[in-house]
Formats: sequence, C-alpha cells, structure tokens
Amino acid sequence: MSLLQINNLAVRFGDANATPVVDGLDLSVSAGEILAIVGESGSGKSVTMMALMGLIEAPGRVTADTLRFDGTDMLGLSARQRRKIIGKDIAMVFQDPMTALNPSYTVGFQIEEVLRQHLGLKGRAARQRALELLQKVEIPAPESRLDAYPHQLSGGMSQRVAIAMAIAGEPRLLIADEPTTALDVTIQAQIMELLVNLQKAQDMALILITHDLAVVAETAKRVCVMYAGQAVEVGQVPELFDVPAHPYTEALLAAIPEHSLGAERLATLPGIVPGRYDRPNGCLLSPRCPYVRDNCRQQRPALDPKAQSLARCFYPLNQEVA
Amino acid sequence: MVNPVVNDATSTSPSGSLDQSLLYPSPLKEFWHAFSRNKGAVMGLAFVCLIVFCALFAPWVAPHDPSEQYREALLTPPAWLEGGSLQYLLGTDELGRDLLSRLIHGARLSLLIGLSSVVLSLIPGIFMGLLAGFFPRLLGPSIMRMMDVMLALPSLLLAVAVVAILGPGLINTVIAIAIVSLPSYVRLTRAAVMGELNRDYVTAARLAGASLPRLMFVTVLPNCMAPLIVQATLSFSSAILDAAALGFLGLGVQPPTPEWGTMLASARDYIERAWWVVSLPGLTILLSVLAINLMGDGLRDALDPKLKNAA
Amino acid sequence: MTVVLTARDLTRHYEVSRGLFKGSAHVRALNGVSFELEAGKTLAVVGESGCGKSTLARALTLIEEPTSGSLRIDGLEVKGADKAERKQLRRDVQMVFQSPYASLNPRQKIGDQLAEPLLINTSLSKAERRERVQRMMEQVGLRPEHYQRYPHMFSGGQRQRIALARAMMLQPKVLVADEPTSALDVSIQAQVLNLFMDLQREYHTAYVFISHNLAVVRHVADDVLVMYLGAPVEMGDKQRIYERPLHPYTQALLSATPSIHPDPAKPKTRIAGELPNPLNPPSGCTFHKRCPYATQRCVAEVPALRTVDQRQVACHYAEQFL
Repeated sequence: MSLLQINNLAVRFGDANATPVVDGLDLSVSAGEILAIVGESGSGKSVTMMALMGLIEAPGRVTADTLRFDGTDMLGLSARQRRKIIGKDIAMVFQDPMTALNPSYTVGFQIEEVLRQHLGLKGRAARQRALELLQKVEIPAPESRLDAYPHQLSGGMSQRVAIAMAIAGEPRLLIADEPTTALDVTIQAQIMELLVNLQKAQDMALILITHDLAVVAETAKRVCVMYAGQAVEVGQVPELFDVPAHPYTEALLAAIPEHSLGAERLATLPGIVPGRYDRPNGCLLSPRCPYVRDNCRQQRPALDPKAQSLARCFYPLNQEVA
Repeated sequence: MVNPVVNDATSTSPSGSLDQSLLYPSPLKEFWHAFSRNKGAVMGLAFVCLIVFCALFAPWVAPHDPSEQYREALLTPPAWLEGGSLQYLLGTDELGRDLLSRLIHGARLSLLIGLSSVVLSLIPGIFMGLLAGFFPRLLGPSIMRMMDVMLALPSLLLAVAVVAILGPGLINTVIAIAIVSLPSYVRLTRAAVMGELNRDYVTAARLAGASLPRLMFVTVLPNCMAPLIVQATLSFSSAILDAAALGFLGLGVQPPTPEWGTMLASARDYIERAWWVVSLPGLTILLSVLAINLMGDGLRDALDPKLKNAA
Repeated sequence: MTVVLTARDLTRHYEVSRGLFKGSAHVRALNGVSFELEAGKTLAVVGESGCGKSTLARALTLIEEPTSGSLRIDGLEVKGADKAERKQLRRDVQMVFQSPYASLNPRQKIGDQLAEPLLINTSLSKAERRERVQRMMEQVGLRPEHYQRYPHMFSGGQRQRIALARAMMLQPKVLVADEPTSALDVSIQAQVLNLFMDLQREYHTAYVFISHNLAVVRHVADDVLVMYLGAPVEMGDKQRIYERPLHPYTQALLSATPSIHPDPAKPKTRIAGELPNPLNPPSGCTFHKRCPYATQRCVAEVPALRTVDQRQVACHYAEQFL
C-alpha cells in the first residue's frame, strides 16, 4: 500500500464553478521513495502540497476522492487531529530559508518548539536533541548555532536549520518545495546531497517540488510533470527525460540551454501558460502545442498509461499512433 | 534525442487566446472597484459629496441668509419639537439666525479651511520630504530635526501660539493649521522616498540620464502618493476639528461668520435652555469628520493592494 | 573587432563601521578585475553571492566610482570625465536588472518609460520618439496597444522584454545584464534569452552577462570570467573553460551544476563550507579553506593571475589539471 494516495484532487478559489488551480490530480508515493513534481509557475505544484498539508484557507476549497496518508483520511480530519500529523509525520521545507524561520527567536528555540510540540521533549533533553539534529544536517559548530538568530546565518545554513526542524519529528514523508532555488549552486549541491542522504538514513519518502529538471534528473526516481493545474505526464526518471511522452515535457526539455549546445537559438514554445480566464475547451496545451490536431482542441485527454509512463495526450510522442 | 520544438520566440500570445493585458481596466476603474467594496467608505464619500454640494451652492440651498436676525424668533426650537416652525427647520440661535442656513454656509468655511490648509502644508511638505530623502547625509537630518521639534509640541498649543502671534481670523487659522500638519507630510514623503530610492527602476532612470528634478518629481514622487493621499484626507478632518477648536477658544474665525466651531463657542451658555444651538453644530462636525475618516480608510485600503501588486 | 570597453584593475573598497567601539573594517568588494570587451561579443561573469559581480555591475554602469583602476568605454576614460563626456558615457552603457517586478516604474505607462531615454538624451520630436518606441516594442514582441499599459498588467517574461527594450532604446555599446533570467521559468527564460541574442546580432552590442547559472552561461557567452570574493580566479574562452576548467573553484561550480543526463562516471568535485566573511578574508589564496588541493603555499602566498593554456588562472597549481 502506498504511503500517500491522492485521487482526483481539485483546488478552487472562489465558488464551486471557479476554474480549478489544481484539476483532477492523481498521485501516489510509496514509503522511502523520491518523487519529483515538476512544473512552471501557474502549474499548481505548490498548491497541491499546501492542500495536502491543510494550508489552503477560504476562499480556497479542496476536494478529492481520496487524500490518504499512511491509512489516515486527511480530508475528514479536524484541525487538532491534523496538527498531530503535520510537522511530525509529514514535514515541509520551503523555498526561502530566510523567511521560513522566525526572525525573532533563536534557532535553538525554534527547533525545540517542534520537539516540544510533537515529541513532548523539554528542557535539557530538548536541547540535546536539537544539537543532535544540527549535527545531522552537517552544520559546523552546532553548539554556537543554537543561540544564533536566523539573520546571523547564511542562506545555506538557514536552509539546514529548516531541514533540521522538518526532520525533528522523524517524518515518514518530507516535502521540499523548491528547497534550493534561492541558494548558490555549490550550496545547492550540498543541500540536495544532504536531503538525499537524510532520506536514505531516515527511510523517509521525499517529494521534491521544483522547476529545475536537471535537479530532478540527478535526484528523483519518479517524476510528475504538471501544467496549468493538471498532471500531464508521470514516469520514471531516466526514461522520461530520454523519451518524453507528452509534448509539454518535450518542450520543457528542449528549452533547457543544455539541449541547445552550439545552436544559435533555444527551442521554445510560443505563448504563455493559460490563466484563469482563458482556459481552452480542449487540451490545455492545445493553443501552444506543435503537434496539435483538431480533436485536441475539442476534448480534454485523460491521464492514461502510454508505453512506460502515464501521459495526458491523445497522440503521445513515445508511441506509434495511427 | 529530443526534437527541438520550432518556435516563434517573439510572440507573446498565440492566436486564439485572449491577451490578458487587454482584460485589465484602467487604474481609475480598478481603484473604484476596490474602493466601492468598502460600504463605510462609500457612505463617507456620499456624505462628503453632500457637504461639498452645500458648500458650492450654499446661497441657493440655504433657506435664509445666515446673518439675518429674526428678532421675533429668538431661540426657536427645531421643527419637530413643540414650538418649532417649518420656517426654521433646525431652529434659530440666540440672535434669531436660522441654524440650518448657518450650518450650510458653515460648510463653505470648513471645506475652505480644510482644503487650503491641506494644500498649504502638502506642497512644502512633499518638497521638503523629497529633499530629505534624496540628500540623506546633510540636508535630510537637518530637515528631520526641525520637524522633530515641531512634532514635540502639542498641535493645538502650536496652533494657538501661531494665532496668538499672527492674530485671530480665517487666514491665520489656515496658516496655523498648515504649520501644524507639515511634519507628518515631510515624514511620510521622506519614508516613502527612501523606500523607493533603492528600487531598480530608479537606478534605471538614473542610467537613462534623468536629471535630479526629473528623478524627484517624475520617477519617484508618483510612487509615493498613496500614503500621502490617505494622510491628506485624514488631515482634512483634523483641520476641521482644529479650526473648530480654535474657533471655540475665540482665536479662530470671528463671529458673525458662520463657522461650526465658532457657533459652538457662542452657544456655550445656552446648553440647558436651547440644546439645539450647541448640539447641532457639534453633530455636524462629528458627522463630517466621521465621513472623511471613513473615506480615508477606504482610500488607504483601495490604494495599498495596488501598491502590493505593482511591487 | 572593435574594443568597446577596457577595464584595468578595477577595485572597489568599502569602509564599514563595526559599531561604536570597534574601528571600521575594510571590505574589498572588487579586487583588481581587468578585461576587454569587443562589440557584439558576450562576457559572462560567473560567481556566487558575495563574489563581487554586483559591485562590478555598478562600476561598469557608472553608478559607483571605482576606488582605483581604469575604465574606458568606447575610448573615453571614465575617471575625470567632464559633464559632456559623462553624458556620452551614460548613453553607451545600459543595464537590465534581475527582478522583472522592481525594474519598471509602477506608476508610468510602459510606452512613456521606453520613450524616457530618448526624451532625456535626444532632441527627437514626440512623434519621432513614439515611432522609435513602437519599432522597438515590435522587435521585442510587444503589441502596439501595450504602449498604454502599466507594468503590473504584464507577466514576468514580458516585463523583462520591456526592460530590455528600454535598455536598448539608445543603442548602447555595452549592456550589463545582471541575472536577467534567474527569476523566470525555463520556457520563458528560453524566449527571453533568444531575444537577447537577436538584439545583439542586430545592434552589435557587447554584453556583460552576469549569472550564476552555468548552463545559461554556456549558451550565451563567448568569454567567461569566474569570480570569487571580489577577485578573478579564471578567465578565458568559454569552450576552453567548460571543457577543461583549471581552477578548483571553476571545477566545483561546473561539478555542482546539475545535468539532465548525469554522467555517473564523472567525479563530483564537492567543496565544503561556505563563502568566508568578506570582512575577514583568509590569507593567501582566499579559496584555500575550501579547496581540496590546498597546500601550505596556498595559505601563505596570494596566487597571481597568470596565463596558462590560453586563459588566465589564479592558482599556484593550475598546471596539474592540464
């Protein structure tokens, strides 16, 4: 049984007829697995995780057929029950470490707060455990850092502290939302390595949300590509990048400078992601898709198995279609 | 190997889907949309419009001449009380003057005082604030210390002092109120200017070769207007209150000019016998100040989110 | 080819007061950077935060005056330039900033913003200005009706196009681009980068392209300058540097950059630690604390920038990587 099972998740802001920001998403994550969710701005990738964590407030509405974590139905939980799980069994690391930490409290206080809330540790035991956590995330001179304030730490250090806070409750699932986008490239490499090592050591599942396909290629085993609120392709890592099924995945890969070595221009898709008010009737990519055919504009494809991956396309690229 | 997707890199919108920038209304419409959501603000605006109407058309709207004394109708109560008459809807004062007409004409004065004191302090205030923001090393601190001194004195006492030096009367009242409100405009402008000076678009304007006056008035100032507009609206109401207070103290507008505060002062003795001579001017001041403040709140709420979107 | 910019030993030091009782400290934000720029070519400046690239950008665009060193733009020396010469210099260097949201004046129509450089620096009539603006707008992919719009009505990618158009209105000899695509999605980045290259081809503008994204740099640059703590560590032809980096920091940067097709055979040069405090830089080679090959000589002696394998490297042991 999978650790996390999501079926037909939809998030809307406004009334029941408002255009969904996340539309009919199916996702599953097994224990100890690394799944990457890839998409550009407006794809709905962050909103999906916020919905899972129960962080979507009115006027947002979350609906799903299934939203189950470790057997527990997340949809029916009360706020109190949810608080027991979020931060302990499911933890999240955010993009900007500088704003994710409370500037008015020391690092030690903030880690101990998590320990107090979820593990019931107090006083010396809490401080000792906080120290161990800082050592786990490879912060040099951890004793002195416990009393430091977030603004005294660099970006990389702050992100390590944020990770320490996230793993404090020994979560079964760690969600990292663009954890390295705000960091320098050498620090980025260090943090990604840290996340992967921690994931193996603590036997956690890791959901990595990012727009950087290269990071995904080096880290994840499975990928879900999102576009305008829908999952358009789900597949295994090297295969998806070698032979993408969905035209959007192909376009994303083609736009990366790495793929145009020596070429004068980078390959791009014209246009931009559809906003709330100009959703096409058919496939959401149809206005921009270079392979578009007539029925693409009229009907919306479903996410179906196509060769080795799932793709939301009538004419996937990795298959011969009549 | 992935086939590169052939593209038209310069098009921003493929045919068939709406260009979103065309869906956006003008800034004025957007502002009105945000403003009108605040019911209190709209009511405030309505009342303010009423006052403005009265002020503009006072001679035609007022049933009587405000200085005309009706000897036979001294201290007549308002029309809905016993002894009142429809000829004097809100009653008359101790000299037989129609209260309603005096209040309507008083609107003229209050608006005049409010408007002129705001303009008189806004313009030098913005100018000094801009200078303080653009020259933070020497000129800025000197200006701010001067403002600190002015802020340290209680505003009413300062106004009284100014009027004591210049003498009572309408013009000097306006000057006094303008001086008292100056420091807040300087501070607001300077704070806003300092916030904007670090932004890239100011650097870009510098790179384009913009001269200092252009940088100050064309590039930076329009982006500082939101807090200033809100402050101006709120000072309008304090100006009315200050004028009323000065009038009450006998230092402002002198009788028989119908000014709401002066009306309050001269009616002090009649609180028990003829409450309407005191309460109605007081009520008018209250409602006007309330209306302007509600409007100012609505303005702030409508202008702030726009700033956030544009940031 | 014509040389449009010559920088010799550009240096910028700051005095930073450290409180009431400690003296002031000396920050060497820029420490002796020299290079030449030819028309129509791109020099990429690569480095992580704190390497001095923003300081360099400010010096090149005449926002700040260097503490020492010489800067010649199109033959005109910057130091000691009189008013008329400064006006000419202004027209020759322009800049595009990182954040598309902060670089446009929120209260000015974009048409007016594009016309402003012409208004200030030329004596064209209103109609002529408008015509030039419309032409530039078309070139960057904007529609004529966009003239009347305000910046908040455009997406991030469109705003960068506007910013680029504004910088190119005076057809400057040099354009400094400070991380112009870092804030954009991959596919938008590709569109904007293509635009950069198109405009360079048309106007023969020299670019100084500052970026920490080595994949992007590989695509756009002709020459690369790698900086660390304010000083150049490696500089030369892009192909050479990417194929065989000679400085350990360059190697680490390239190694840390994730790739879509990761090569498991290639060793990862991981460097530990973080950027040292610029107020208290290490002795000798400033990189020695993090360098896997550091020796006693590196601690004691500052390596000079010397020519090895047709490029400049500041490392005592550059030859060992040949």
